[in-house]
Amino acid sequence: MHKVHSFLPFSFLSLVSGTAAVLVVAYIGLIAVVMSYAALTVEFSQSVKNDEAAVATLESRYLVSVARTTSLDYAATGYAKPVVELFVPAQSVTAFR
Amino acid sequence: MRAQFRLRIRLVLALVVLAALFIFVRLYFVQIVHGAEYAQKADRQFAAGGSGLFDRGAIYFMRKDGTFISAATLATGFLVAINPQTIRDPEAVYAALAPLASSTLTHDAFLAAAAKKNQVHIEVAHRLSEENGRTLSSLDEPGVQVLRERWRYYPGDTLAAQSIGIVTYGSGDTLTGRTGLEAAYDGTLSRSGDSLYKNFFAELFSNVGNLLVNARDAREGDIVTTIEPEVQTRLEDDLAKVTKRYSSKESGGIIMDSATGAILALASYPSYNGNDLQKVEGALLGNPLVEHVHEFGSIMKPLTMTAALDAGVITPATTYNDTGCITVNTRQICNWDLKARGVIPMKQIIVQSLNVGAAWIATELGQEKFRAYFTALFGQKTGIDLPSEGRALLGNLSKPQQIGYDTAAFGQGIAITPLQMVRALGALANGGVMVQPHLVSAVRLSSGIVRQLDWSERVPVFSATATRETTEMMTAVVDEKLQDGKARIPTMSVAAKTGTAQLTDGRGGYHTDRFFHSFVGFFPSYSPRFIVLLYTNDPQHVTYAADTLSPSFLDLVHFLIDYYAVPPDRGLPAPSGATSSPRAIP
Repeated sequence: MHKVHSFLPFSFLSLVSGTAAVLVVAYIGLIAVVMSYAALTVEFSQSVKNDEAAVATLESRYLVSVARTTSLDYAATGYAKPVVELFVPAQSVTAFR
Repeated sequence: MRAQFRLRIRLVLALVVLAALFIFVRLYFVQIVHGAEYAQKADRQFAAGGSGLFDRGAIYFMRKDGTFISAATLATGFLVAINPQTIRDPEAVYAALAPLASSTLTHDAFLAAAAKKNQVHIEVAHRLSEENGRTLSSLDEPGVQVLRERWRYYPGDTLAAQSIGIVTYGSGDTLTGRTGLEAAYDGTLSRSGDSLYKNFFAELFSNVGNLLVNARDAREGDIVTTIEPEVQTRLEDDLAKVTKRYSSKESGGIIMDSATGAILALASYPSYNGNDLQKVEGALLGNPLVEHVHEFGSIMKPLTMTAALDAGVITPATTYNDTGCITVNTRQICNWDLKARGVIPMKQIIVQSLNVGAAWIATELGQEKFRAYFTALFGQKTGIDLPSEGRALLGNLSKPQQIGYDTAAFGQGIAITPLQMVRALGALANGGVMVQPHLVSAVRLSSGIVRQLDWSERVPVFSATATRETTEMMTAVVDEKLQDGKARIPTMSVAAKTGTAQLTDGRGGYHTDRFFHSFVGFFPSYSPRFIVLLYTNDPQHVTYAADTLSPSFLDLVHFLIDYYAVPPDRGLPAPSGATSSPRAIP
């Protein structure tokens, strides 16, 4: 004790008390970090899921439009079949899609 | 003084050692003796932390340009729960709720729930939209809780429903894949309950190994199918039209990349809407293209022909005397029109679809070789990534009676699944090699890694020479016979064969007026990209598959040529030529 007193300007009890206080504060801080992390994880995850659901709604509209286009009776909407089909050696524009 | 200090130090040391020992003993009991019990308790706490919000991986269609389109995903919204003990005026509460949840909330059901005063939580409405849920929440009705809810959602409704499958509650309280890809890839798609509410520090200290390699992240993910949504839509539309037009019992079709086995579309009609399973018949939930077997009729003839060509017992120049009908083991086999053709070459057996010719080839091939070829083609399951795959019924090929082989040669007396059939016929389009049909090309793991699945298994059955000779015959079917030659596409060779089989009557015989129609084709004939198999079961007031399925097949061929910009393989002059091959539209 005398040696401690001789090297440090405060008592051993103060040192231990201070360390304990720091640890308590650190512990509380860690709890706060963990809670915040969990809350943010939940929030971000929910946000991602909501966005995915919104995208799914758009994809649903796309698939509905594909189905509508596929089942469309072009003759009934006023389009006529071409009289002649001419096959030419040209690059189809659809090849780039 | 020094001795007293040492004593104190030793005392403190002893206390520390005792405390450490206590902690070690406690740890031993916690982690070793009661470890499993605490682990279960922790799991329950993790699951409870998730509030039961449903989570599951997505299933994607893949467009031709590589874009992912959701086939199965999660929808988010709200559920409404009431506490009957705190609701003061149920009628008033219902009046407030009804406009926002009218589709899922009936007056009587709500009042009955509100009358259960011994309960504190009753869910009265599900799947409310985001907007309605927030509006309800803002009303702040006493005794009414608006809670977040998530559920499985299929953006395509009926699109590829039987391939995608459904999730249901199994034996426990967890939604799991029951049919289709949902079941086949359940291990990849299902999620652990702690994924949302992961405790970083608990994870850090509970399993340090997971920080380096997380087994869950290496297992869980989304799956990417080979199904092309626009091709699938087109196939389903064609099947619905043919089924309705001929009042068929059912129709089905498969479009496959003949070189890789990737299935671009696989559909049957009728089907169901995965988002509305309330009134779906259980029989529809399976996948008939994978589970059911049929006698396919004459689309088997190209396989019989190729087997004989491959075995060297015939050549395309070989002739035989077609008498119109023959008798085998006291049973009569006749051509579809009962007419004799006289001495004709092999090509005519395919072009005119002659049963007597197919039976003649089977006899020439011999029972042992015939059995060997057909067992190689149909003896094994395809191994597709769908559950409950059926097996072919090849019993007639185990018997000594020649009639069984002769009828099998033209697709009667043996029953095959449509998937096995398209795989076997795909060998004709693929130089004699069968590929492995599959619906999923890759798994996108939670770790971010995309794992390509290996479907490279190949089964050689025929020689390339034999398949080319048969392909020439099948190409002649389209160019010369189908729709009296009007189906011919000047710039694209298409190989095809129709099949019309009599349906079994369940008493060991066959109906004379009920049929199973099938149609197979691939193109370009000599370097195929796609093989298409169609069938319609028991169409009414029509006899031949050429009448029922030709329009659908040709529609699909033209669609695929346009959609994938398949380059012409014939009929075009050198690039310097401006125009070529004008064709009148029938």
